[in-house]
Amino acid sequence: MERRDFLKQSTLASSLFFVPNFIKAFENVSKSTFKHKKLVIIQLSGGNDGLNTIIPYTNDIYFRNRPKLSIPKNNVIKATDELGFHKSLAPLKKLYDQGYVSIINNVGYPNPNRSHFRSTDIWQTASNADEYLSSGWVGRFIDKYGKNPYTAIELDDSLSLIMKGKNMNGIATKNPNILFANTNTAYFKKVLEQQTDAHLSEHNLGYLYKTMIEAKSSAKYIYETSKTYKSSLEYPNNPFGNQLKTTAEFINSDLDSKVYYVSMGGFDTHANQANKQSKLLKTYSESVEVFVNDLKKNDTFKDTLILTFSEFGRRVQQNAAGGTDHGAANNVFLIGENLKIKGFYNDAPNLVNIDTNGDLIHTVDFRSVYATILDKWLQVDDASILNKSFSKLNFI
Amino acid sequence: MKQKHIQHLYWRASFGIDVKQIVSLKSASKSKVVSKLFFDSKEFKVLELDLSEFDEIKYKTNKELSEKFSEEELQKLKNRRNKKVRDLNYAWIDKLGESKALLREKMTLFWANVFVCRDNDIFFIQNYNNTLRKNALGDFRVFVKEVAKQPSMLKYLNNKQNKKKKPNENFARELMELFTLGVGNYTEQDIQESARAFTGWSYKNNGDFYLQKSQHDFDEKTFFGKTGNFDGDDIIDIILEQKQCARFICDKVYRYFINPKVDEKRLEEITNIFYKDYNISTLMEHIFTSKWFYDDENIGVKIKSPIELLVGIQKVVPVTFDKKQQLNYLQKMMGQTLLYPDNVAGWKGGKSWIDSNTLMFRMKLPSLLLNNAVINLEEKGEFEDSFEQYYKVQKQRNKYLKITKNWESFDDKHQDLTAEELKDFLILSKLDKDTATFLENLEIKSNRNFCVQLMSIPEYQLC
Repeated sequence: MERRDFLKQSTLASSLFFVPNFIKAFENVSKSTFKHKKLVIIQLSGGNDGLNTIIPYTNDIYFRNRPKLSIPKNNVIKATDELGFHKSLAPLKKLYDQGYVSIINNVGYPNPNRSHFRSTDIWQTASNADEYLSSGWVGRFIDKYGKNPYTAIELDDSLSLIMKGKNMNGIATKNPNILFANTNTAYFKKVLEQQTDAHLSEHNLGYLYKTMIEAKSSAKYIYETSKTYKSSLEYPNNPFGNQLKTTAEFINSDLDSKVYYVSMGGFDTHANQANKQSKLLKTYSESVEVFVNDLKKNDTFKDTLILTFSEFGRRVQQNAAGGTDHGAANNVFLIGENLKIKGFYNDAPNLVNIDTNGDLIHTVDFRSVYATILDKWLQVDDASILNKSFSKLNFI
Repeated sequence: MKQKHIQHLYWRASFGIDVKQIVSLKSASKSKVVSKLFFDSKEFKVLELDLSEFDEIKYKTNKELSEKFSEEELQKLKNRRNKKVRDLNYAWIDKLGESKALLREKMTLFWANVFVCRDNDIFFIQNYNNTLRKNALGDFRVFVKEVAKQPSMLKYLNNKQNKKKKPNENFARELMELFTLGVGNYTEQDIQESARAFTGWSYKNNGDFYLQKSQHDFDEKTFFGKTGNFDGDDIIDIILEQKQCARFICDKVYRYFINPKVDEKRLEEITNIFYKDYNISTLMEHIFTSKWFYDDENIGVKIKSPIELLVGIQKVVPVTFDKKQQLNYLQKMMGQTLLYPDNVAGWKGGKSWIDSNTLMFRMKLPSLLLNNAVINLEEKGEFEDSFEQYYKVQKQRNKYLKITKNWESFDDKHQDLTAEELKDFLILSKLDKDTATFLENLEIKSNRNFCVQLMSIPEYQLC
């Protein structure tokens, strides 16, 4: 194929070529109303202990299983008769009180895998526990509905599986200046400047050139567009805070990106969990609070949905080292202005009926959460992205 | 043999070729060149680290260790042990570049992505790695049976939990889905029945395989229409009776060694060869001596894996990493860390190596290694890291790679080459027209310089 045709196809086609007609029609409808909708995904990496995050403070079984690690009733920020927030989550509780938070309990999948790697893969690819997919669910969204890698941006220097599609991938950057500088090194630039439309686009070589051109133009676009807005709010001075600050700058600069992905590390708390987790939750919630304020100030919060998940929760029972071991189902947070069900979406975790490993049993498949977001928020065909139809929830 | 064909062969069967070697091979016939490859790989030399410091804790279970050591001591031990797996990674990469047994090493790397496994126990994982190396060119039947008995594998795929009263199907499933047949070529019942045959397959603390008789199901099983008191070895034999097994492996071989686009007729041809006796050397020799292997459509069309790229550059300009952990950094940034596969399905390879970020990094790699270019990117943290480690700001880290370059060796071999010759030596793929024009107009200051420039164009990503 001549590259000229190839390019013609790929600009037109990268979004439309692989999409059946009925979806194209659908997409056209969605554009007018949902053009500005953004999704921000935060992974609490390492397996956050959900039971000490949203605390079942009236449940005796909780206290019995965690003689040293349970959070005493009077340290809990009570939200309902059953559940309360960890005190480090005070900023999140504030958002909750304003009706900006929806918490879904017991989210997981059948036959949970307790390996960080595998379970993260499962959450990122939206696969079954015994299925290996090589593309992520956001990647497949870019494939079908994106025109450019910057349709989805990971706030990091290298790209995670969640962002990899079959024909197009997202782009990773913590710092648009560095990304731009890296695509703009003198030699790289020279090679690119030479490119006319006339060359062949053979299979892999064509793919390399296409990726190179996309990298360059994405970097340039992100760099130039994001310069228009610099955040004036003070974020907590840590890398996670910075990642959210950059995300806010992207969103408030009206970057034509739909999905942002941030992974916050440190949640693998096998030993001496109490202090560590407390600090982590504080970092998380304080940063998110500023982030929300930043968006509100610029009137973009109404178009932003924030999803927070962890690859698994921790075991109900504490371990001997003052920590918890890898578990299964966990809570998921949704933050936004348009939530239909504010506060707790479903029942508190059932601590009586647990699995043979001593872990919570899921009642909500995580892919139902994705399906809902894809369908109702991003307004695209969720089943074709998730490879299967999942029942929708009604949080939005 | 034509220079281009020698280069093609050596890129696929190894990690590129020395420019001086080409000269010596040009006058030889194809069959001679190919048999030399096999001859040089005849010998099997283990890859072994000095692990004497671990003698006292060798082959101890976590439980035994925790009885002997405090929590803190244990953590330190584990860190040291895990670090040793990294050391094995570095030693393996060195071996890829230096070994005389080129084909054996290339095949070892190939098999590591078929029989995918991961383990923090340095003794076990080293053993597993050498099992791949030992069988890399041998009898596939023996190979599968030996790999299946590796402690790392039994551990990784939960066969220790596979017990008569409560079978765990993980190993049986992956054996068929990912190692021998491919999804859709067996039934759920085949998995359940074969899982029973692997019950009780376990290992001693010292890594020796043993059958835990009390946990083994000695009763009758029905597998692929056959009924008998099968054990795991019988199951593997029955799997190999399926022609699909030969086809599945040959498909992987085709994509890895020949072309990412499979020609069904050729696949059928090599499947028939392999199915006869499952001899890996026979299969590979058939491929490397076939006329069609050297067809233009098969040359320079494969995207190099990060390891192929890294080792390939070092073959042209030998480098020594003064800080070995920087090797780890490079692997992580490009998405392939040896001994740390993402999951049991292995690295997908091909186009999936490439995204905007990895491509930019890969194109910058030659100047990072050879020209003191600066790194502006940080690697991701590990799951087990604390918040601080996860986000460790690399302020202190020298943003340059600390590398000793042996340019003299490069000069010695490449000084007298013309620009055209150097280009033909480094670039195997068809050149993009505009890039070719660009290279022609480039003022060539030195062959050293031109070498780095050539290695920084997209075409160098292909072999």
